[in-house]
Amino acid sequence: MPEITLKDISLKDYGLSERISHLKKIYFRAVPEICTERAHLVTRFHLENGLFEADRISILDKAKAYRYVLRHRNPVVSHAQGVDREMKQFTFTDRQLFAGSTTTKFKGVPLYPEFLSLTLWPELQTIAKRKSNPFHITPSEASVLNFEVFPHWMEHTIMELGRKKSFAMNPPSAVKKEAPEIKLLQRMVFFLASKPECISHTIPDFSKAMKIGLRGIIEEATHLGNHAQDPSRQEFYEAVREVLEGMIEYSRNLSTQAEKLAEKEPDQVRKRELIKMAAITARVPEFPAQTFREGLTTVWICWTAIHLENPNIGLSLGRLDQLLYDLYRNDVESGAMSIEEAIELLCCLWLKIGDHVPAVPEASEQLFGGTGSNQAITLGGVDADGGDAVNDLTYVMLRATELMKLRDPNLNARYFSGVNSKDYLRRLCEVNLNTGATPALHNDLAVIRTLRSKGDAIEHARDYGVVGCVEPGSNGRSYAHTAAILYNLVSPLELTLFNGRHRHTGLDLCIGTETGDPETFTTFDQFKAAFERQIRWMVDRSVCLNNLYGEIHQEFYPTPILSSLFEGPLLKGRDLTRGGATINSSGATIIGLADVADSLSAIEKHVFNDKAITFAQLIEALKKDFVGFEPLNALLRNPDKTPKYGNENRAADHNAAWITRVLDQAFNEKLNYRGGRYRVGYWTMTNHAGFGRLMGALPNGRKAGENLASGITPVSGATPYLTKALNSVAGLPVSCLSSGVALNLKYSPENGPEMLDNFAATVEGYFDDNGGQRDGGMEIQFNIVTHDTLVEAALHPERHPELLVRVSGYTAYFKDLNPQMQKEIIDRTEYLLSTGRMVTFAPYAIPERRQS
Amino acid sequence: MTLTKIMRNLQTELSGEITDKFLEALLYGMKMSFDMSGGYRLNIENFRGRYVFRSADGFVNAAADFDRGDMKVYDSVLEEWNVRVTFKDARALRKFLFSRDQDILNSLLANDVEVEGNLNYLYKFGYMARELLLRLGVM
Repeated sequence: MPEITLKDISLKDYGLSERISHLKKIYFRAVPEICTERAHLVTRFHLENGLFEADRISILDKAKAYRYVLRHRNPVVSHAQGVDREMKQFTFTDRQLFAGSTTTKFKGVPLYPEFLSLTLWPELQTIAKRKSNPFHITPSEASVLNFEVFPHWMEHTIMELGRKKSFAMNPPSAVKKEAPEIKLLQRMVFFLASKPECISHTIPDFSKAMKIGLRGIIEEATHLGNHAQDPSRQEFYEAVREVLEGMIEYSRNLSTQAEKLAEKEPDQVRKRELIKMAAITARVPEFPAQTFREGLTTVWICWTAIHLENPNIGLSLGRLDQLLYDLYRNDVESGAMSIEEAIELLCCLWLKIGDHVPAVPEASEQLFGGTGSNQAITLGGVDADGGDAVNDLTYVMLRATELMKLRDPNLNARYFSGVNSKDYLRRLCEVNLNTGATPALHNDLAVIRTLRSKGDAIEHARDYGVVGCVEPGSNGRSYAHTAAILYNLVSPLELTLFNGRHRHTGLDLCIGTETGDPETFTTFDQFKAAFERQIRWMVDRSVCLNNLYGEIHQEFYPTPILSSLFEGPLLKGRDLTRGGATINSSGATIIGLADVADSLSAIEKHVFNDKAITFAQLIEALKKDFVGFEPLNALLRNPDKTPKYGNENRAADHNAAWITRVLDQAFNEKLNYRGGRYRVGYWTMTNHAGFGRLMGALPNGRKAGENLASGITPVSGATPYLTKALNSVAGLPVSCLSSGVALNLKYSPENGPEMLDNFAATVEGYFDDNGGQRDGGMEIQFNIVTHDTLVEAALHPERHPELLVRVSGYTAYFKDLNPQMQKEIIDRTEYLLSTGRMVTFAPYAIPERRQS
Repeated sequence: MTLTKIMRNLQTELSGEITDKFLEALLYGMKMSFDMSGGYRLNIENFRGRYVFRSADGFVNAAADFDRGDMKVYDSVLEEWNVRVTFKDARALRKFLFSRDQDILNSLLANDVEVEGNLNYLYKFGYMARELLLRLGVM
């Protein structure tokens, strides 16, 4: 257990340095700029080497392509210009302490034409003028993409390759036609499969790069390759050597560039900084890191290389406070580095980590609006032996986060009650109060329990880090693609209510499986059985499609860079896409749990138990969106008259738990294309708003088009008491939530130290397993902001450019969210911690001009 | 039909009340612009692709065949195509292709348009159609 040597764990005497204030100001001034460099270089290599004609692409060919990109990419040491909101260029003096960048731009949008970048094609000439989250692009860059990049990929994107591969899933009479699963995907209301966009969601293993350097890994790969008999293994090791040499080359190029800049630099302070950057990038990541700064540089250079290969969505950095602690401690103890310098270095790195945003086409903003790259960092918790892992660096990283208040990195903190200190928990709550939205808190007891239930070794479960939004995965050894399937739970309910039909796709078309007319059901169990069949039908379809796209990744997009920096592939001699990792699960996340659970409860009570309404009446009301059925709607929405999940109502909570068990069982029965099993999570990003827009009225009283509840959170406004809400969620079986949950709570800011006390006490209470009587809550995240502030920010975004909020998993700047998503956050249940009661307010109405 | 008339039709269809002539105006506008502008024609110099457009009620049928710098427009469907778009009505198609705040995905979400085949061809078509409107100053 590391000794905490800090006199004040809040480190409140340390503020933003002048350098960081300067860089942060530029950071918020700059809008994202599309960068064509990666896309252009990858395309050129594919053209020059005939890869567009290949019927598969070997890992060695892929490795050569990435080495080519690493060699030819611009080694950016300092940026000189950005673009502001008026799309005008501005110049600035860059005083960053880390060389290298994800793109050539100060804040760039990297493009991956292999994946979904072609969706931006229609927008290239107008993307700088779009209302939501515009990207700058020059006419020449648009021309490069239009003529030299995108045309070559029209037959080679994952989506298209998957479509063609799906022809074989049809009977021979229907050749050259997409499989029905693809048509379901295109309908949008059933599930989304994210492999055409990326796999990414995972945590690399940086420890080897830190300890033995990339040169050490190359030597290991050479040794293993020399002793491998299997040609595919030999090829794998050669690919590893190829990409690692490319990364070393890139770092050397950075070093050379830093030297050149230093020679010309008139400012002596900056000159010395550049000389130091040159020296560091000449050493690492090729050789072991010897100082804290070298350790951070190793992480950063490896991170940029990983992003060359893997789209910038959900790649996460893991437990950096554990990885870097020894280097930090040595430097501080030897006097080589002060705490102030450590905080400044971390702030510089945090800004670097946020130097890119994903390329999101305009309408996708409605499903994923305002998202950053969701690069999670995990702090605290326990070590492999179950001891307290919180160290001085944990607090230094918390302070850097508190000062910066950035969207990326997405900070997550682990807490093990009884092992980690109460002071640590209070500090986590305090940072939440001061940032309004971060870090998310994870309960080690429950998370380790759920990972163990899926077969993870105890030391691996204890070493979990958070991936993307909230998903737990063993640090550097779990290649889990936690967001492989986004499963809209409202659709199987819809298919049950309408006997295999869906209002969105038309009630004359049986698109699901027929499970009987619900008007003929005489018991609630009959209804549940039909619902379970529809759930399983959709699970089958979504898994089938995910596995199909997974095979495309294996055949065309192996990942030599990520495989080099991971536990498992080197030992097995196998790429990650082919099961090289130690843990090979896939993840599905469920959207709509609370609304569907409440719908089941409403049906159980009013149709079957009380017989207050018939199924025919309910269906009629749903079809008419409750118009003419206002009293019924009021009855269904009233938590005093209709059981609601989140109120410690036994029947309602039982229905929610039953759904999680059915989904866990249905998914866990399935094998993925890497031989692993599917795990289930409940975090929704902004999809509860996106899917909500598409879905009709529900038996819980929700009207058509209204937002669904987020993550695992009860329906907004249905749970007046905070403690009851927390107890209901904490009573769910965590073994069924193994791909993570997001419980989104909103607290009113209150004056006085009592708020912090109450805050910490509620977290403790929620995490508690009550002596084994329940599992305890897994995760909780907060927005600490008033309803009025959010309404004001929605109406006047220019006054709140840095307002940070938790969506359902990731953090976002409120101004970047689409109107539907803003409404969802504004209308979320808000509690006063001092009373534990819900604050009442009228639902927010989106102004007419802002609707989309 | 002269270019001026086609462009006037297109402008009317895009800015005013839409009619079932919208698709015809767009496709013939593209064709004439490809014929007359070398810069615009660069978009299809090395491109081959077949597009079929049809309304759900079968009232509107059209096709465009691009073949290495040449574009042919048909008022009937083609048997072989790279992408086939079935739209609810002309308004849905216009929204699908041009609306500033919506795009391909949004129309799919609204169930206004069904697309079969390779979506990447549609993205390219979307670029060319928007470029045409920008060149004509109607966007």
